[in-house]
Amino acid sequence: MSTENINSILVADLGNVHTRLVLIDLVEGQYRLIASARARTTAEPPLGKVALGLEHAVQSLTNLIGREILSRDGENLFITPESGGHGIDMFLATGSAGRPMRVFMVGLTSEVSIPSGQRVLAGSYITLTDMLSPDDFRSEEEQINAILSGEPDMILIVGGTDNGADDILLELVHKVARALSLIRHGVMPSVLFAGNKTLRPQVKALLEEYTNVFFAKNVRTSYEEESVLPAQVELAVMYDEYRTKSPGGFAEVGRYSMVGVVPTTQGYISAMRYLNELPQKGIGPLCIDVGSANSTILGGAHKELHYIIRTDLGVGHNAVNALNAVQYENVTRWLPFDITADALRDYMHNKQLRPTAVPGSTEDLMIEQALAREIVRMMFNQAREAWDLGEGELLPNFQPIIAAGAILTEAQHPGVSAMLLLDALQPTGLVELRLDPHNLISSLGVVAYLKPVATVQAMETGGLISLGTAFCPLGHVRQGRDAMVVQIKQQGAATINHTVRGGEIWMAPLLPGLMVDVTVKLRHGLRIDGKRRIKRRVITGAAGLIFDARGRPLVLPRPKDRAMRYLDWQMAMMGRERRVKAADVSAAEEEPLPDLESLVPELDDIQGRR
Amino acid sequence: MPYNPETTVIQGLARVIRERRLPPQAIPRMSQMLVGAHIEAVTQVLEGDVLRDYRIIDVADYFNLPRATADQVAELIETREGQRVQFGGILARRSRGRRTRTLISPVDGLVIKVENGRIYIQVNERVLEVMAKIPADVEEVESHRVRLIGQGAVLQCAWGNGKFNYSVYKYLPDEGFVGLSKLDPRISEYRNVALISTQPINKGDLLVAQQHEASAVVAPAMPSDLREFAMGLTFPVLLTEGFGQRRPTALIYRLLADNIGRQASFDAAVPDRWSWERPEIVIPLPAGGLPPTPTLDQALTVGAMVRITRAPWEGVVGQVVEIPTTPQVVDSGLRVPSAKIRLSNERVGLVPLANLELLG
Repeated sequence: MSTENINSILVADLGNVHTRLVLIDLVEGQYRLIASARARTTAEPPLGKVALGLEHAVQSLTNLIGREILSRDGENLFITPESGGHGIDMFLATGSAGRPMRVFMVGLTSEVSIPSGQRVLAGSYITLTDMLSPDDFRSEEEQINAILSGEPDMILIVGGTDNGADDILLELVHKVARALSLIRHGVMPSVLFAGNKTLRPQVKALLEEYTNVFFAKNVRTSYEEESVLPAQVELAVMYDEYRTKSPGGFAEVGRYSMVGVVPTTQGYISAMRYLNELPQKGIGPLCIDVGSANSTILGGAHKELHYIIRTDLGVGHNAVNALNAVQYENVTRWLPFDITADALRDYMHNKQLRPTAVPGSTEDLMIEQALAREIVRMMFNQAREAWDLGEGELLPNFQPIIAAGAILTEAQHPGVSAMLLLDALQPTGLVELRLDPHNLISSLGVVAYLKPVATVQAMETGGLISLGTAFCPLGHVRQGRDAMVVQIKQQGAATINHTVRGGEIWMAPLLPGLMVDVTVKLRHGLRIDGKRRIKRRVITGAAGLIFDARGRPLVLPRPKDRAMRYLDWQMAMMGRERRVKAADVSAAEEEPLPDLESLVPELDDIQGRR
Repeated sequence: MPYNPETTVIQGLARVIRERRLPPQAIPRMSQMLVGAHIEAVTQVLEGDVLRDYRIIDVADYFNLPRATADQVAELIETREGQRVQFGGILARRSRGRRTRTLISPVDGLVIKVENGRIYIQVNERVLEVMAKIPADVEEVESHRVRLIGQGAVLQCAWGNGKFNYSVYKYLPDEGFVGLSKLDPRISEYRNVALISTQPINKGDLLVAQQHEASAVVAPAMPSDLREFAMGLTFPVLLTEGFGQRRPTALIYRLLADNIGRQASFDAAVPDRWSWERPEIVIPLPAGGLPPTPTLDQALTVGAMVRITRAPWEGVVGQVVEIPTTPQVVDSGLRVPSAKIRLSNERVGLVPLANLELLG
C-alpha cells in the first residue's frame, strides 16, 4: 500500500497495564507529536478484549483535542482517511501485553549457533522452555518429553553454516519431527528454521506434515558472520500470529493495524537503530523500559545495537519475581525506613494481585522506586556481560539515557526520575537524560516501517522529555566537604553560583529549554572527562541541570544515616529546600563565591594538608 | 476524561453467569449434561483426561529381536493407536502357550502411535473433574465448556488456594481462632463448616481450622509466605483483600453476616491473569424476578460506589463525589488522575483513579 499521502498516524502501544496512544500529524510540513492519551488495558479477563481499552484511550484523545477518531459506522473502528480535521490516515499497534510466547530452541553448537539463537529470541517477549543440541546426552524419550512438556508455542532451529555440514542438524530436525508427530491435543508449535539454507527442502518435507514451518536467513551464514535481524523479523510475524490466537482479543486490533500488533521491543529496536546512526557524543544511546510485566534494555555501543528483554522482571505483574531476582537487601538499601523481608514480600504479592494500582503513600512509592532501581541495575549488569562492555560498576559513556515505563517516567517530580536513573546506572561525566512517558520511541520505530520520514521528524521535534544534563564526577567524595563549585550563566538573568558538597545532589532551579553556560570546578580527586575544571554550554531540561556530588562509584549511606540523606536527596531533586541545611544553602547563595580559578589550588591545598 | 476502573463484584443479589472449562490439553470424556437442566453446586459438569509425558517402548528391544524386521515386530504388537491402556495391560506378546512372553504397559495412558516396532504412550497424569460450583441452570454444553446461570450474592476475593467446597459457614467466636482452639474439635459446633474471620490469619489459625476439619476459611489476609502451605491444605482458603495486614472490606463481611445460615460456594480459584475464574464466594439466593447481571466495564461517574484498593484507605467502600478534570497530587506525592471519595466517616479523601474498583 502506498504511504505517500499519509499525514496523520495513530499508534497504540498495548501494554500490560496501560494502552497508550500517540497521534502524529503533519504540522507546517513536519511530522510532530500532536497528542497522547492512555487508558487501562483490557486484555485480561473478565473483559478479555484489548480493543475496549483502545477505544477508551481513543475517546480520551478525542476529549483532549476535539478530534473525532472513532468511527460510528459499526464496521471500522477508526474514521479513515482523515477528513475535515477528524479521523486518521493510518493506525499502527505495538504490544507487550499478553503471555510471553513459549519457545523451544534447537541448535547445533553451544558456542556458536545457540548464542545466535538466543540473540534472535532477545528481541521478543518469549520464555525459553528448554534446548536441544548434539551434546545433549538425555535419552530419546527424555529429549522428546523435553520438547513437548514445556508446551512450546514455537520451536526455533538454528545451526550450520550455509552449504556446511548438515547431517547432525538434520538428525535434530528428525527428533523434532518425531516429537511433533506425537501431539494429539493442545497447541501444535510452529517452527522457525534459521539454519543452513541448503537444508530447507528437507526441513520442510520433515515438518510441514505436522505444523507451519517458517524460514529466515541463516543466523550464521558463515562462522564469522552473524545475522539475527531477518530471523527476528520473522519471529515478530510469528509472535503476531501467536498473539492473535491468544486470549485478549488482539486479533481484532491487529486487523485495524497495517502491520498487525508488532512486539513493542521490535518498535524499540527499529527506533534505536535510527538513534544509533545519529552523530553521537558518547558511545551510543541507552534506553531502558521498566514495565509491569517486562523490562527491556537497549543500547547502541559504537554503532552496534544490543538489547535484552526480561519477561520475568517488572514492578507490577512480575513484582514478586523481580523481588526474588534482585533480593530483599538490595531493595531495602534504597529505603529510608525499615521494612522486614516478610512485609516487603507481602507488599510485592499485593502489588502483583493489583498491578494497575499506584502507590498510595510515600513509603509505598519508595518501595516501588527502590525495586525499579534494582531492576535497572540488574538489567544493566546482565547487559554489561552480554554486550561485552567490560567490568566494573560504572556505566560506559552512553548518550543519551532514555527511560520509559511509568515507574521511571511518572515520579513525583522529573528530578526524582533523573535521580532514579543516576542511582541505578551510575553514569559518569556529562550525561543527557530523557524520558519517554508516551512510549513514543517504540511507536515511532513501527512508524519507520512504513513512513520513515515521520519517525525522523517526530523524533527530532521533541517527542521525548529532556530532563537535562547531569554532571557526575568520577571519584570518591568526602561527605559534607565542598565537591563541585558550580557557576551557571544564563542570558538576561543572574548568574547562579552554588557549591555542591560531597554526598549531595543538586538540581539547579532552571526553567527547561534554556541555553546556559556552566562551569564546574571539582575537588581534588574528582574528575569529569579526566578534568577538574570543565566549561560547557548546555540546554536545561525538565529537571533543570543536575550536579551529582555523591561520588562514583556511588557509596550509599550507612543505615543510620539513610533516612536523613535519602530525604535530603529527594527534596533536592524535587526542587525543595532541604530541611536541615537550608540555612547553609541560603548563606552560600547570599555570599559571593570566590573566583572559580582561585578555588582549585585551595582545594588542592586542603587535600595536601590531609 | 472518562475512566473505566477495574470491577470487583460485591453484590447482595446478582445473576451469576459462569463458564466451566477443561484445560485445552485435556481430552474430554462424554458429558451427561443437558441444556436446561438444573444442577447443584457439586454436580460434575465436565470430565477429562490430562495427559503428560510420553513413554517410548521398543518392542524388538524388549523381546531381544535385533534382527527382526519392522513387519515381524508389528505382528507381536497387540495394541493400536488411540487405545487406552492400563498399567499391566498387555501391549505385545511373543510365542504362545507356556513359552509366551508378554510386554506389559508400565503406565496408564493413551497409545499415541505404533510405528517401526515402537509403541508411543502418553501417560495419563490424572482425571480432571470440573464441578458446577454453583447451583444453576445449564445454558450451553460443549465438549470442553459448560455455561451455567444461577443467582445469589457474589463476593469476589483477592486470592484463593485452588480448592473448592460448598457448605454452610459461621463467623468465628469472639476470640477468633484462639477461641476455637480451646474447643474440642470432635464436638465443636464449628466442625465441618466454613469459618469466617474478620482478622488476618496466620499458620496457627490454619492448623486450628484443619483440626476442626473446616470446610473453608475466609479471612481478609495472611502472610504471603503461607501461600505454599495453604495450597497444600484440602479445604479452600479465600483472602478477601490480599497479603500481610490488610483491613477487611466491611461490605463483604456484612453480606456474609446477612446470609448466615445459608450454604455458600467457596471457590478458591488461584488468581491467574489469563483465567476467567476468580476466587469468589457465591451465596445462592432465591429471587423474585431476574436479578441484574454485574456490569464489568463502566465509566466512573459521580455517585458511584467504589472500593479503595491501596493505602491509606484500602478496603474502604465510599462514594465518588467529584472527579477533578486535571491530575492531582495525592498522598504519595504523585500527580495522577484522581477522584474525591466520601468515606464512611463522612470525610472526603483524594484517591488515585487507579486505586479504585467499581463493585459491579
